[in-house]
Formats: sequence, structure tokens, C-alpha cells
Amino acid sequence: MLDLPFTAALEIHSRMADVRLASEWLARSGADGGVPGDELGRLDMCLNEALANVLAHGGQSAAAHAIGLQLQVSTRQNAGQASVHISDAGPAFDATSARPKLQASTLADATPGGLGLLLIQKNADALSYQRLDGRNLLTITVRWA
Amino acid sequence: MAIDFQDISDTLRTVHISGRMDLVGTDEIATRFAALTAAHGRRIVVDLTAVEFLASIGIRAIISNAKAMQQRGGRMVIHVGSNQAVYKTLETTGVDTLIPLFADMVEAQQAALA
Repeated sequence: MLDLPFTAALEIHSRMADVRLASEWLARSGADGGVPGDELGRLDMCLNEALANVLAHGGQSAAAHAIGLQLQVSTRQNAGQASVHISDAGPAFDATSARPKLQASTLADATPGGLGLLLIQKNADALSYQRLDGRNLLTITVRWA
Repeated sequence: MAIDFQDISDTLRTVHISGRMDLVGTDEIATRFAALTAAHGRRIVVDLTAVEFLASIGIRAIISNAKAMQQRGGRMVIHVGSNQAVYKTLETTGVDTLIPLFADMVEAQQAALA
């Protein structure tokens, strides 16, 4: 039997302190929605990296409009899935198809940065992207059984 | 976010970081982290056992400082202890192939001095 879905929403702005607020909201809401700790940690990682990308690359258009966050949790007995939807007004950017930077083989060759996409793609069980009405809509999903 | 250090000898220093190494946390410690790893030829164990969350911005700070140390003739190793979340993030991003990771502090110190 499918339990009633749980939803929560938050609006933040494109600034560093709000990324921390988003994590705190996700921790509270995820716990209320029954998301297991490991999956909540993976969602938190993806949310942080996605918002860091908005801050770094969203420019004035992202800064001028609120970033919308929505958490949806659905469970069936001990299994379930949780999705975070992130809506921002920055330039079009599809995190689902962008290729992460190649990893260096030595410290001398390493260039700091570019690991956020890799962390999103490795921690999410599913990703989807739409460009709608001038906004990026990224959905990050984790599942458990 | 907190950062402190202990000088074990003239050449060996341990740097202990705790809290969330996210955008806010890394920004709070970035300057001191760079300063604590700046001395010429120093060997450093960065202790991440009390780090609750490690985002890419924190990894960026670690790699930047490790690379700068190497260029100055020093060496950085990382002590993760039993912190599985941090270990997994470092492994996922390939940092474990660039900077040695240790579960045991004594082994980490020996490797830093080797």
C-alpha cells in the first residue's frame, strides 16, 4: 500500500548563507518525511552542489529571482524515493548531461574545482532537467528499499 | 566550522578540522587553513575525522593546499579515521589517488614523514 506523499517547499536567494539554510530545511523536512539518513545525506550533497553551481554560474538573472526548492517523498512499506526539485532563473544549464571534469592522476596535474557535477551524478539515483519559462528545473532523486 | 593545529615536531603538524565543509564552512576556515599549511617543507596530517559534511568546495581547498605544499617541498596526508561519509566523498572524487588517506593517525603521521 502506498503511503500519502510528503511534500515541503522553501524559497531561498542566490547567496552563500542561503545554501546552509537549504541544507537545514532539507534535514528537517527529510526527517519529517521519513527519508533514511544515508539517502538524506546523498540528497544534501546533490542539493549543495547544485546550489553552488547556481551561485557560481547563475549570474545576475539567478541573483535577481528567488530559487525555488521542493521536496517530495513517497514511500511504500520500507521502500521509497525522495526528490528535490530546484528551480532557478540562471542561464540554461543541464546538469544531467554535462560531463564532469576528467580526474587528474597526480597532484601536480590536479586543478582545483569542477567536482560538483561528479558528486551530483554519483550521489543521485536519477536526475532530470527541463528549461521552462526561462528557468532551470533540476530534479534530483534518491531511492531506498 | 573550526580549525586548529598541533605541532608534533619541527617538521610535523596536525591540522584538525570539524563541522560542515560546505560553502559557508569552507569560507570560514579557508584563510587559516592555507596559512597553517604554508611553511616551507612542512609535513602535515589533515584530520577530517570530525568533518560532518564535505562538499566540492572543501575538496577544492584541500587540493589547493596540498598542491601548494608539494610545490614547496612539503607533503600532506589525510586522516579520515572511521568517517565513512568523508571517505566515500574523497574516493568518489578520486582524491584518494592524489593525497594518501589513512584510518589510523599514527600511520598517517609516519606516511607524512616518509
